[in-house]
Amino acid sequence: MPELPELDPVVHGKLRLAVLSLLIGVEDADFTWLRQKTGSTDGNLGAQMLKLEEAGYVAMEKRFAGRKPQTVYRMTPAGREALAAYVAALKQLLGTAL
Amino acid sequence: MTNQETDNGTTRDDLLQRVALMETMIAEGRKSTARYGWIFVMWGLIYFVAMGWAVFLPFKDWAWPVCVTVGVLVGIVRVRRKRAHGAAENQRSRSIEAVWQAMCVAIILYVIAAAVSGHGNQSAYYAAVFFFVGLAHGISARILRWGVQGLVAFIWWGCGIALFFFNTRNEVLFIFLAAAFFGMILFGLYAMMLERRRAAALVQHHA
Repeated sequence: MPELPELDPVVHGKLRLAVLSLLIGVEDADFTWLRQKTGSTDGNLGAQMLKLEEAGYVAMEKRFAGRKPQTVYRMTPAGREALAAYVAALKQLLGTAL
Repeated sequence: MTNQETDNGTTRDDLLQRVALMETMIAEGRKSTARYGWIFVMWGLIYFVAMGWAVFLPFKDWAWPVCVTVGVLVGIVRVRRKRAHGAAENQRSRSIEAVWQAMCVAIILYVIAAAVSGHGNQSAYYAAVFFFVGLAHGISARILRWGVQGLVAFIWWGCGIALFFFNTRNEVLFIFLAAAFFGMILFGLYAMMLERRRAAALVQHHA
């Protein structure tokens, strides 16, 4: 029997998975947009973004839109690889659970 | 189908939920990243006002430069305010914005030049504006692969052609108002309805 893959726990978290899935379709996105799309709270999203940053899956940049400060995130190549690996693992797991 | 546990410790339903979540979020991220239906409604109304001024009020050569400039300023302020409340960018959204920004610049330069040189009240002048607008709709439709917007492009182009053949004051007025109503106001309201429906679906997904 083939060995079953492990799901990356950083990617597997629902909110973190939602954020990575959003970021894969855009070049960059600010915190407020991510919060709106995921329907999460400031505190929760901030904590999850920090975990993704620590894992090297997203990069954060502080900038100004006019006078307003903006926190902008973009997915890193490591983040793309992690999401691709997660999808492959999911496929394999769902295949065995059929 | 049972909700059996995979060897990984998570249930099949849990994994399927993750798949559904990813599909929803990827689709959401790839959609046009902003809501622009209101801009079409606003421009449709501006066209009505500008045309009314050009036909019925004095200083008709200035109707278009003034109305277009007001529209551009209102648009810039509203877009900036909306962006302050959250934004994301991808190549597609930037391409569409570039097309409409270039069209705005082209129309502003065109109407000001026509007003200054006294050529601002001929049917060919209006026809050119129609072709500009149709061009922007047509490019957006191709980028978004959106048939309805492609149809709107043809409305503008069709009305632009019609202006060369029907050029009495009343005919020009009728064609212009028809294009502004169907090609801007109605299309803008339709886009706003789709945006609301999408937002409601997203809220339901989070509930």
